[in-house]
Amino acid sequence: MVPMLEIGRLTVRFGGVTALDAVGLVAGPGEVVGLIGPNGAGKSTLFDCVTRRRDPDDGVIRVAGQDVLARPPHAVAGSGVARTFQHPAVFPGLSVRENVMTGAHRFGAEGFWRAAFARDGERRLRAHADRVLDRFGLLGLGDHPAAGLPYGVLKRVEIARAVAAEPRLLLLDEPAGGLGPEEALALSGLIRDLHRATGLTVVVVEHHMEFVLGLCGRIVCLDLGHKIADGPTHVVRRDPAVIAACLGAR
Amino acid sequence: MTAEPRTGTGHRRPAVGQYAGDRRRAWPYPRTALAMAAAAAAAVPFLVPPYPLYRVTLVLVYVVALLGLDLVTGHGGLISLGHGAFFGVGAYTAAILLAAGAPYPVTLPAAGLVAYGLGHAFGRPAVRLSGLYLAVVTFAVAVAVPPLIRRLAPGGAMGLPARTPGAPSFTGLDDDQWVYLLVLAVTAAAFALTRVVIRSTAGRALAALRADAGAAELLGIRPPATRAHAFAWSALYAGVAGCLFTWTTGFVAPESFTVTLSITLLAGLVIGGLGTVPGAVIGAVVVAFLPAPGLVSGLALIVVLAVAPHGVTGLARRLPSFLGKDRA
Repeated sequence: MVPMLEIGRLTVRFGGVTALDAVGLVAGPGEVVGLIGPNGAGKSTLFDCVTRRRDPDDGVIRVAGQDVLARPPHAVAGSGVARTFQHPAVFPGLSVRENVMTGAHRFGAEGFWRAAFARDGERRLRAHADRVLDRFGLLGLGDHPAAGLPYGVLKRVEIARAVAAEPRLLLLDEPAGGLGPEEALALSGLIRDLHRATGLTVVVVEHHMEFVLGLCGRIVCLDLGHKIADGPTHVVRRDPAVIAACLGAR
Repeated sequence: MTAEPRTGTGHRRPAVGQYAGDRRRAWPYPRTALAMAAAAAAAVPFLVPPYPLYRVTLVLVYVVALLGLDLVTGHGGLISLGHGAFFGVGAYTAAILLAAGAPYPVTLPAAGLVAYGLGHAFGRPAVRLSGLYLAVVTFAVAVAVPPLIRRLAPGGAMGLPARTPGAPSFTGLDDDQWVYLLVLAVTAAAFALTRVVIRSTAGRALAALRADAGAAELLGIRPPATRAHAFAWSALYAGVAGCLFTWTTGFVAPESFTVTLSITLLAGLVIGGLGTVPGAVIGAVVVAFLPAPGLVSGLALIVVLAVAPHGVTGLARRLPSFLGKDRA
């Protein structure tokens, strides 16, 4: 079976610092993989490479067998990849619903002429967005401007926007960061339900260990740009190197 | 999890009117306001004597131009210093066609399409670079167009008179009333189209790009194409406004469309308030009645921006919260 995400020898250097040093990572279809490691381990940099925000110095990245690096950044959504950011990158001037509709941009008419007169497509997009909002318990907030919502809600809006793109591969960058324990638990449940319903592949970067242990079947641990562990959750959580690098530090 | 916004989490909701492109509604009765504005606008030609009516017609002409400029600047976050040139190109397209004997309804789409084509031709390469390059390229266009008109267009530096639309006899209207109503109809259509575009995939893409280009691109939005389309559309509006200008004034000359007009349009929009429909209306009043750029208008601009960094509209939208009734 072709892996959903296949990263090989990924290397990124910032000046003299090597942020990622020949890192490999494979996520099979329908897998939920946790990507952990202390700050500066290169987790977000890895996401940036997969989503074409940063060009790696070396390495290959394939999504469902397709070479990602050969395609422009705006083609990332089309190849079935969606992501969230460590700090939620919602569009403040748009309403919550409009944010989620923007997530489904690739299903809508793109040109100004067609967009202006394709009212039918607009209705379909709206219905699609409302289904996603409902799944995330945000339907009541649909018309609320994204600006000024509480942090935890913004996190959910951003995940809803990513899900609206109907990705095959969802990259979540610290989804539980800044959330209270209850909010994190609820979010974990939402992601698990989503995974069960759609069978999409998820890679989660997270410091919140309970969140990772409860959600992920497999864990990859990075430290200073090197992969120090990769295996089933129950094995990696007992790995002495992993405990020293991240678990012990908490 | 509750669906209600939770407050008290340390995240303060910014007051309405604090930043450009804020789509929140500050006025509680939009339909009533719209109906009243439409009724008042339709009544104006029967209440106002000819010369003030002419000035009001020009305000509407500038409203159309500013709605277009706002698409690029207010919603797209890009600076265009060339809209006076697109305005002039639209005006001359209409005047030349009218001089050649074309019926005036033809001149409107023709002027729009010529400006739209030019907008694509200049915008497409310019937006690929970065926001500021668009300002430079459009500034160059604004500087280059008046001499080109003087050299190439019929009438040269002397300008070109044009027929103005005459009122059909069955209406029993004076010509200036008829022109006003034509311009009003086009302005209303421009409003409606702007509203539709802003709330479409294209408008959301533009707002997303302005807020966070990286995150927008990740959703499949192509920044150069989206911005180029927005720019061409705004040029279309400017061209249409230029045509309305010709219908209203019956005379075009290169001096009417210098770089000063481009700067005045941008200044008017900033004073009125970016990213809002009332901003375009207030801006048009400013453009139509502002004394020729000089000490007074320069100082006025500085004062307005110091008092109301988000324009008169931003100031008005903040009023409810000043009065203690935050309806955001």
